[in-house]
Amino acid sequence: MSVAAPGAAAGPEAAATPVRPVRVTVFVGLKLRMMGYRLRSGPRLLVGFIFGAIAGLCLAITGFSLFLLSGAVGHDAGLTVAGLVGAVLTVGWLLLPLLFFGVDDTLDPARFALFPLRRRTLTLGLLAGALVGIPGLATALALVGLAIAGGLRAGVAGAVVGVLGAILALLVCVTVSGAVTSALAGLLRTRRVRDLAAVMLAVLAASIGPLNLLLSSTLANATLTPALRLARVLGWTPLSAGFMAPYDVADGRPLLAVARLAIVAGTVVLLLGWWSSTMESAMVGASAGPVVRATRGGAVGALVPRILGALRPGPFTAIVAQELRYWSRDARRRAGLISITVGGAVVPVVLRLLPAHNGGRGAAPLPLAVLFSSLTGAAMLANQFGFDGSAYSAHLLAMVPGRVDLRARVAAISIVMLPVISAIVVVVGLLSGDAADVASTLGVVFAAYGTSTGSASVLSVLAPFPVPNTSNVFASAGGTGAAKGMLAFVGMIASAAIASPVLIAALLLPAALSWIVLPLGVAWGLGAALVATYTMGDVLDRRGPELLAEVSAAP
Amino acid sequence: MTEVSRAALVLRGLVKSFDGKIAVAGVDLDVPTGSFYGLLGPNGAGKTTSLSMAVGLLRPTEGRAWVLGHDVWADPVEAKRRLGVLPDGVRLFERLSGPELLAYHGLLRGMAPDVVDQRSRELLDVLGLADAGRTLVVDYSAGMRKKIGLACALLHAPRLLVLDEPFEAVDPVSGALIRDILHRYVDGGGTVIFSSHVMELVEKLCTHVAILAEGRIKAVGTLDEVRGGRDLEDVFVKVVGGRVATGQELSWL
Repeated sequence: MSVAAPGAAAGPEAAATPVRPVRVTVFVGLKLRMMGYRLRSGPRLLVGFIFGAIAGLCLAITGFSLFLLSGAVGHDAGLTVAGLVGAVLTVGWLLLPLLFFGVDDTLDPARFALFPLRRRTLTLGLLAGALVGIPGLATALALVGLAIAGGLRAGVAGAVVGVLGAILALLVCVTVSGAVTSALAGLLRTRRVRDLAAVMLAVLAASIGPLNLLLSSTLANATLTPALRLARVLGWTPLSAGFMAPYDVADGRPLLAVARLAIVAGTVVLLLGWWSSTMESAMVGASAGPVVRATRGGAVGALVPRILGALRPGPFTAIVAQELRYWSRDARRRAGLISITVGGAVVPVVLRLLPAHNGGRGAAPLPLAVLFSSLTGAAMLANQFGFDGSAYSAHLLAMVPGRVDLRARVAAISIVMLPVISAIVVVVGLLSGDAADVASTLGVVFAAYGTSTGSASVLSVLAPFPVPNTSNVFASAGGTGAAKGMLAFVGMIASAAIASPVLIAALLLPAALSWIVLPLGVAWGLGAALVATYTMGDVLDRRGPELLAEVSAAP
Repeated sequence: MTEVSRAALVLRGLVKSFDGKIAVAGVDLDVPTGSFYGLLGPNGAGKTTSLSMAVGLLRPTEGRAWVLGHDVWADPVEAKRRLGVLPDGVRLFERLSGPELLAYHGLLRGMAPDVVDQRSRELLDVLGLADAGRTLVVDYSAGMRKKIGLACALLHAPRLLVLDEPFEAVDPVSGALIRDILHRYVDGGGTVIFSSHVMELVEKLCTHVAILAEGRIKAVGTLDEVRGGRDLEDVFVKVVGGRVATGQELSWL
């Protein structure tokens, strides 16, 4: 940390020369300067920042419109919207640090451990610094909507209470996330917990779709009453008290509004106290050592799982075994697998199963409905060397033939994904009453999966990019990574095109002949995978060192 | 080229430039078989870059490298078979446990499983890593990582060991252990070249020394030739041309 506050950088002379007190503005300046450096340090981070800013702006506008809407609709509906949206916002801030810990470490308390700062100064400084970031500004923008809604609802008094409520709500959000981070910092630094958080995030992200479906079907035949009751209860908790205060003014009960604001203000004070008391342990960041479990048997037996026992031990077996271990042990990969599995299961349900239950209107044919699942199944291989990073040097030093390397990686993910995809096809096929089409659909799925592994192999050799070695899945978003990640989608479209003859056969062949699609699809997919790994293996042999340099570039 | 076939490692005119910026500006080096060779240099001198080019991990802009007579870039299979490498700042497959990682390296090199098992057990015992059990390498300490990296480099019994900063972040006990292993390896006819910026270590261990600064070899020869009767640290500072004394500044200290 070379950018130090002038007064904070006091050395041994502190006792002799008077030291200027550190102002809170120093932290804001520090944060802004570090954001500035980040923008200037290269297009990769700039693009990441722009993506973050756009996402923040979208969320801000959504929140703004929702709050504004709460001022325009009827009294009860407005109360419900303001209360529930506010609660979601606060809970979001509460969960944010658990998921994003370590992503924005510009103002990590541990960085200030060596400076002689008073805890009060540090707490307020970190609070101010957090307000300046994208999440803080986006929330502030959304809360402007609340102030306007207050004005719409109850004139000038409502606007004033709305502004106060918005400011206090913002402070609750920021302090709660800071205090939780600080209190749990020691825990969050351990690898296992961070791995777990990454997986949770993936599950959460992947279940947005199903939740959305569930929610909309529930909302379709629900009344406002239970939601209103929930909002009224939440209105007396710090979660959404600040958001409901303007309604008390509108109801002609200003004292209630003051009470609600007092609840929020008291919460802010308590949270600040908690934050500052846990700051010290957060700076030290101790963590317990891992539990040691003894090994049994030889080293080779430890590496190669029993299901690979039939294979001859050698480079191919070793890479398959290592990849299998990594798909379960590397949080980034595990998170990807979970998202792909959930997504792969939801899409056919939405395309096929739900319309089938609503009388079959707009239902996609079974082979089309599951096509996406099989295409995404192998898409994670599109940056398979990026996951290795500089560890790939071991393959280079051992002169692993490129074909063996690529084929072993395809084999490993297929051991995991093919049963999953097949199960999806069978279950969706049976539930939607397409039992007769299951065999031919499996053919289509195998063909598409095979071509997808092929195109992913091509991309992984020609357009690899470094993946940050953190367990946080969002740390990889942005920059050339994002641009090259887009290639994975191009690859999926190309795979679909290459597999399309099998799809057309499945759709057009008469029922009596449709079984033919299964062997055709298997051969098609296997052929595509073999051809791609054959040609790309040669390329990999030639450009190994260049690939190593591309994936080990420091993030 | 007789010296090429006799020496363990020969570098000729190695140049590496990144986007026009020259990192290594022509390195020539002869590492005799059976020598314990120290590559000294300040941070950023090009030690890692030179060694990466010498072992086939980084393609040189110009120049060639031979391991025991085999061109690293033209005949990599033969060269790399005789080569064991401990890279610095390079990730291992760290979500494997120690034994798994060793087995992985052994199988990648096509070794027989029973040989891998036996050697892994011995290496883990000697390096004091057997106690770590099934702990993943990602949870190892810095010193343990160096040791498991060294074990991976030694597993296939190479004739030349190239070690990048093998003693960095290693505690004194592990350091002594690693030194002992390397000594035995050299006594048994092996050759070691390692990079470092710790003078005492190089003076204690090495038969030969090369000093690398600003991408060039500034001094090279046996330890006594390079020292010329002086302290190695004095020679190093003089050759590298750093500032060792302060003037009027910092008077307030």
